[in-house]
Amino acid sequence: MAGNIYFELTRAFNAAGPIAVLASGQAVVYYRVAIMSKDGDWVIRETAEACAQVLTVLAERGAVYRAGAPLDPRWLAGGWSSHFEFFDDKRRRVRCDFFSRPPRVDPASLSRLYEGEAGSLLVIDLESLIRMKHTQRAKDYAVIGELAARLPPEQEIQFTTDPDRLLTLASSYHGVIARAAIQAAIAGDRDGVVVALAREQDALQRIDRARVRAYAAAAEPYLADVGTMSSADRRLPGVHARLVERAERLLPVVVRAQENVDADVE
Amino acid sequence: MQMLSDDDTNLAELSDEELDLAWDLWFDLAQSTNDADPLYTHGVFAGITQVEISEKEGTSQAPGLSRHSSRAS
Repeated sequence: MAGNIYFELTRAFNAAGPIAVLASGQAVVYYRVAIMSKDGDWVIRETAEACAQVLTVLAERGAVYRAGAPLDPRWLAGGWSSHFEFFDDKRRRVRCDFFSRPPRVDPASLSRLYEGEAGSLLVIDLESLIRMKHTQRAKDYAVIGELAARLPPEQEIQFTTDPDRLLTLASSYHGVIARAAIQAAIAGDRDGVVVALAREQDALQRIDRARVRAYAAAAEPYLADVGTMSSADRRLPGVHARLVERAERLLPVVVRAQENVDADVE
Repeated sequence: MQMLSDDDTNLAELSDEELDLAWDLWFDLAQSTNDADPLYTHGVFAGITQVEISEKEGTSQAPGLSRHSSRAS
């Protein structure tokens, strides 16, 4: 039966226990906000067992590594991501991305992600998804507005990117006012709300861009090395140990990058 | 203020089966842009715009890196 391959993969990854949480674009599909991504992204538990389970599932489907960090707890803990692809039975390209430290999501939220049963379709919670969507990509901010509308009002006002919703929510808001756009909304200053939202988005985009640039620079020697591998050489399961060996020589585990977004924009 | 189109947001009215079918059809159609897709849309490699290994079976080419991070994470 037709279905979402990424939902199916999530259940397969979690078959022996909850280790992988569907995030990003397919989580947006799950929440019925929009269909706008053809890749799958997961937050994975930061253990050797979880990595092995995911690699097994992907190997069964003939996946190859794309250029990226090896799926190994050491690089996951450093914020790196691992990337794979395979073709499904209809010859459609399926791309799978993994990370364990989604940017801007606090550790307490991360620890709650894996509360589920074996074989379940684990999907990231709305607030964490919104925080992950604070990227350099403009279209994510429209999605954030739609995702925020699914939150309770006291949470929605902290995240919405919709000036009209902010003005409406502010009229009955009595919580902490840390967001400039909320301050402007409480004052009934619509222009101020619009300007504050634009500045907030720009700050978030700049911070995300700086973070990604730091990783790109750190990855340069490693990617130059793995770029010489043919597609056949990158096929699972054999390639994994070879990538780990290359990463141990060329890919630093720790990258210094600005992470404290909230402190900069609120 | 509506931030996405009706076509985007009417998914809420679909059953699980209808959502699966809609996504499957969309995924079929989306394959047509595979060659034009960004190398990475998520993760910390999203800043890399020129890598890399050829995705075609059995071929490879030397990577070239750019730190112009116009693509998203």
